[in-house]
Amino acid sequence: MRQWIILFKKEVKESIRNFKWIWIPVVFILLGLTQPVVSYYLPDLLEQFGGLPEGAAAAFPVPTGSQVLAETLGQFSQIGLLVLVLAFMGAVAGERNNGTNIMILVKPVSYASYISAKWAHMVLLALVSFTAGFIFSVYYTFLLIESVPAAHIIQGALVYGLWLTFVVTVVLTLSTIIKSPAAVAFLTFGVTITLSLMSSLLPEIMTWSPGMLSSHSHSFFMNGYGNEGFWLSLMCTILMIAVMLSLAIYVFRKKEMAVHTT
Amino acid sequence: MDEIVNELQAVPWPVVAPIIIIQFLLMVIALIDCLRRGGETKGPQWVWILVIVFGGIFGPIIYFLFGRRND
Repeated sequence: MRQWIILFKKEVKESIRNFKWIWIPVVFILLGLTQPVVSYYLPDLLEQFGGLPEGAAAAFPVPTGSQVLAETLGQFSQIGLLVLVLAFMGAVAGERNNGTNIMILVKPVSYASYISAKWAHMVLLALVSFTAGFIFSVYYTFLLIESVPAAHIIQGALVYGLWLTFVVTVVLTLSTIIKSPAAVAFLTFGVTITLSLMSSLLPEIMTWSPGMLSSHSHSFFMNGYGNEGFWLSLMCTILMIAVMLSLAIYVFRKKEMAVHTT
Repeated sequence: MDEIVNELQAVPWPVVAPIIIIQFLLMVIALIDCLRRGGETKGPQWVWILVIVFGGIFGPIIYFLFGRRND
């Protein structure tokens, strides 16, 4: 356990030193702030700059609070995820390429704690950034538009946090398997986009999919409960995270063993 | 002149100011990092400074993701 904490601290220190702990939360805060403001002023903006015919802007009513929160999650799912995936794509692959992990692994460090410390740090950074951004979004939504029951917001945010955790786990797992960081990012986007797309196109057969989680979180904002099949997709996601993490440790151990014995 | 003043007054500053401040903050952090690194960027440093300053929200993000060597 002490060893694990040291590895975890090493990750945190590294990310503080290269400003990841500042700039990623700031990006999320910026996204979270902008969305409610844009939604609120969209009719005004269209009227002033859109060149629309008189009265057409009235066709864009100010959305409800829960809609704005859902739109914020949409922003997080696009730019936010892009930033997270690109920031973490080299987590294992990059260290292997520049030799840092050899320095660590010559010491009696277990492969499981090496990978799980990395995972815990990535998840923590992702969730802290998301929470920071979302708090600002909620504040602005309350200020400009309307309040949404706090319980709905917290439940929805937790569900969305699990989706982020899932994506981060995908990045880490692929990063142990594949050498090139760019390929890791590309494949992660492939997986997440396929999952979300399939989930929205074929909701009947994709009830288990982690890609359903963001639509469940929208439903939590709206009504305070998830859509049908919420528990199934929740359980499947947790299971898949556990499986991927074990796979990452297994693959990493095998690869490093191969390196050290030859 | 009066028109410009009116336009400026029409901007909802209490709402917009935090966004501008945070975006500025992001830019400053990126600039500090870029300058502290000296020549340790991918590609010429002055190009990155231009990207950070004139790239809007995405300038600093792109710098943080792709501009730094041995990250």
